[in-house]
Amino acid sequence: MNQGRRIRPHGGWIGAAAAAFSGWTAGGPSTKGLRMQMAMAGENSFGDTTPDSPRVFSSEPAPGSQQHGSPQEGLRNLATLLVLFAFMLALGASIGFVVVYWTSASHALLGGMAALTMASFGCGLVLWSHWFMKHEQVIDVRETLSSPPAEQQAVTKDFLADDQVQRRKLLLGLVSGTLAAFAAAFVSLFRSFARPPYPALKPTIWRQGDRLVTLEGRPVNINTLDVGSTLSVFPENRIDAENAQVVLVRVNQNLLRLPAARANWAPSGYLAYSRVCTHAGCSVGLYEAELCLLECPCHQSTFDVLSGAQPTGGPADRELPQLPLYADADGNLRARGDFSAPPGPGFWGLP
Amino acid sequence: MPTVICAAILAFLFLAPQIAFGRQAAQSEPSDGAAVYAAHCIKCHGTDGGGIAGVVSIMGPSLKAEHDRQAVVDRVLHGKGIMPSFKTVLSSGQIDAVAGYVTTELATIPLAPGDLANGGTLFRIYCSPCHGVSARGGAIAFAGTNAPSLVDKSAATIAGTIRWGPGPMPSFPSSAMTDQQLDSIVTYIQFLQHPPSPGGTPMQYFGSVAEGLMAWLAAFVIVGLAMWIERGGKG
Amino acid sequence: MIREIGDWFDARLHLAKFVRKALNHAFPDHWSFMLGEIALYSFVFLVVSGVFLAMFFNGSAVQQIYHGSYKALDGVSVSAAYQSVLHISFDVRAGLLIRQMHHWAALIFLAAIVMHLSRIFLTAAYRRPREINWMIGLTLLLLALANGFFGYSLADDLLSAAGVRIAYSVLLSIPVVGSWLTFAFFGGVVPTDATIPRMYALHIFVIPAVLAALIGLHLAIIWKQRHTNYPGPGRTDRTIVGSRMWPSYAAKSVGLCFLVFAVIAFLGAFVQIDPVWIYGPDNPAAILPNAQPDWYLGWMEGVLRLFPAAHVHVGHFLIPEIFFPGVLFPALLFLLLYTFPFLERWFILDDERTHHILLLPYQQPLTTAFGCALFMFLLVLFFSGSDDVIAVATGNSVVAIRTILRILVFVAPAATFFIAYAACRLARRHIAPQAAPSVADD
Repeated sequence: MNQGRRIRPHGGWIGAAAAAFSGWTAGGPSTKGLRMQMAMAGENSFGDTTPDSPRVFSSEPAPGSQQHGSPQEGLRNLATLLVLFAFMLALGASIGFVVVYWTSASHALLGGMAALTMASFGCGLVLWSHWFMKHEQVIDVRETLSSPPAEQQAVTKDFLADDQVQRRKLLLGLVSGTLAAFAAAFVSLFRSFARPPYPALKPTIWRQGDRLVTLEGRPVNINTLDVGSTLSVFPENRIDAENAQVVLVRVNQNLLRLPAARANWAPSGYLAYSRVCTHAGCSVGLYEAELCLLECPCHQSTFDVLSGAQPTGGPADRELPQLPLYADADGNLRARGDFSAPPGPGFWGLP
Repeated sequence: MPTVICAAILAFLFLAPQIAFGRQAAQSEPSDGAAVYAAHCIKCHGTDGGGIAGVVSIMGPSLKAEHDRQAVVDRVLHGKGIMPSFKTVLSSGQIDAVAGYVTTELATIPLAPGDLANGGTLFRIYCSPCHGVSARGGAIAFAGTNAPSLVDKSAATIAGTIRWGPGPMPSFPSSAMTDQQLDSIVTYIQFLQHPPSPGGTPMQYFGSVAEGLMAWLAAFVIVGLAMWIERGGKG
Repeated sequence: MIREIGDWFDARLHLAKFVRKALNHAFPDHWSFMLGEIALYSFVFLVVSGVFLAMFFNGSAVQQIYHGSYKALDGVSVSAAYQSVLHISFDVRAGLLIRQMHHWAALIFLAAIVMHLSRIFLTAAYRRPREINWMIGLTLLLLALANGFFGYSLADDLLSAAGVRIAYSVLLSIPVVGSWLTFAFFGGVVPTDATIPRMYALHIFVIPAVLAALIGLHLAIIWKQRHTNYPGPGRTDRTIVGSRMWPSYAAKSVGLCFLVFAVIAFLGAFVQIDPVWIYGPDNPAAILPNAQPDWYLGWMEGVLRLFPAAHVHVGHFLIPEIFFPGVLFPALLFLLLYTFPFLERWFILDDERTHHILLLPYQQPLTTAFGCALFMFLLVLFFSGSDDVIAVATGNSVVAIRTILRILVFVAPAATFFIAYAACRLARRHIAPQAAPSVADD
């Protein structure tokens, strides 16, 4: 097994390169060889101070150097040429990059030139290192990380500094208390980043009598949807109000299974639910008309629209809040009030 | 005399099939478009061309937006997918007649080029939740099917299907979605069938999953390069 | 000439001794020691390309009407941030290239960190005296995760905005302080006018500064403590064997740097990433299926999908169902990772000695098996987060796939644990055991 210190065989530097993937293991060390090698390096023990120049542990000349084994002039010239070629390619591709930039600036060409110049330059450096730089392993001493006890005592002495102040404990207590107060003051600055959340989270803009309108502002009336159709609707005059988006569906009235208290919330089979998923806030935009299921495309939570958007599958755990509806004299759909619960994902103070 | 007999035989051989098939067509099938439709198309496409759907799959799409006569003729002649070719069953006259019937009587959904940008906005609200933001299909739970890719669907099929709402798909009648909005959505979907990808291969718009797998592939390539750089290294 | 410049500096900074020490510094030669460097070079690329992008990006959420070169969005109301990203992609010369390279570099950065972390874990390099660097490394991972998330959310497109909403919901679910924390950070119910600017400030300034400082500290500690060595001749807890830094290791390392850049450039040139023009601008009424975060958050997305719907009531108050997979699980996971060096001492092997020689993975079967099982667990979670993409790609039901994954998420890690453990024991018996390295007594 390659020990790392074994001189590579003559004429075998390409072969050695081919045997490169030696992986994790290094094999059992030969202690005799190690001692011999240490002797060669002229070292028997290591002092505690790190020498400026680590000892050479093993060294072999670079494959492309003059000293290596039998002269392989041809291979050496080839290696030199390859390294030169790599750098010239890098240079050329860089110029190519500039040229492409100033002319067509085609994305693929530009990026291709960039990739080519980086790759060639990198390969050039690596090949130079492989073939022409001395492969020298050095051995060095690791300094002891723990400081010697004498030094540690000296630190303690320097730190205590023979301070003569009175009432040390009280002073330190006051200093600590002040620092804690500083920290609290700093933390309380974060309050400036926030407004109180519950007034924004709990109610929405929907009020009794608000008309439902589409994205373009057209009012929705009793004839807008067929059974099995769906629309996104918003409160009139405040289409972009936060958490106020509603998904409107129309179902066969005979199939409704709403709770008794919501019996008159669905005129002509129109059901309006908050479009903000109670799981993680995505827009519940998927309506399966046959099963009368609303589904959130983010994590596939499903809600049964016939029973008040109760969750029937997926990770959501609470129903979608329902917007109570009625039809006014013109047949336009209006809200009876705000949602049945605060819309959106749950939070600590959710009632 | 032999020449005349040969000519008569050749003429008979040439004309007989014409006569035979012509008689067959005349005897077995009507050439009125509506009648052809009722005899051959209604089983899959419905009585008024509205399409027929099972619970999770479409048997025959809606024809209510098919305005392109030549496209209908081509489709009947060659078939597509589960639709067979009718070239051996119907004469070209009959095919022409049924195409005329479809495009003049059945196709009631107007279709015109729409506003691309507005179509995009509407698409992302109404269509994207199921069909994907690149219209290449989306997963649906509990519907028995995933929403299909729209990449190979014609404008007419798309428009007809939006108004129809087959199976689990909701319908969008003209009271909910105006004809202009429908046109815009169809225009945008056609744009999405071959969108510009200036940054390179879009990896079929599989999104960040494909990007993540590609990044790991690249990372392994880099590790391979590191193995090459430190070949023979013992650590 | 180099000598003259060197002398000029040396006369003012007394550099010779330090430079000699640096040039002769021993770097062990093994590809697995280069994984951290891959991460480092990716980070350098991110900073440089990020500066370019920051010259054009507009970190504002103010809505405006788009009238740029991409016709499919002409006249659509978009945020200034989104508009600037479209501008970079379509109108700035080389803009799309730099943007794509930046995003690819981020994905590779995190992959390299994970590979590096895995190597440290599997070779027990986190043992004394390297516990500090282990924790710094984990912090770097967390910061990189966060910065990646903020980075791709800056574009304010439909996909990343959905991700921001999910992050908002997760933060909101924290008991007692959740809504306050969320409003403090995001500025209200997302999207708000403050969300993009705050993420921008974090992404280009705060987090990169902390990252750079911690990377510097990470490297300084390595310099001070010296690299570990794999077991081998001459390598003990008192000595280190490696290549001289100059010239061979420096050439190899800089070569690696450019090869990393080359791979990033290749991807940026030929593989499209994050086509925000297809996703469209954020619109609270719009949404898309098959939506995932970038890969390094896929495990979180997976646990959000797999976890059963179960909220908890504490008196009148609610702990929403998303708290457990979204907050508690990642917190416990990272707590486990941070304290692992100490946990290992309590549960597996009480070894307080200093170690500079690495263990090979099969020499610590329990730890290796645990690590492999954890990795498999996170991998299954990643696929769980992609279950709808798998469903569409294979034409199957997402419900069926999710059910399979719910089983697999327990079975696969358990199986991996036993298989890895058995493999390690087998390897230990059959591969020649390493000579026990001498242990330093400090």
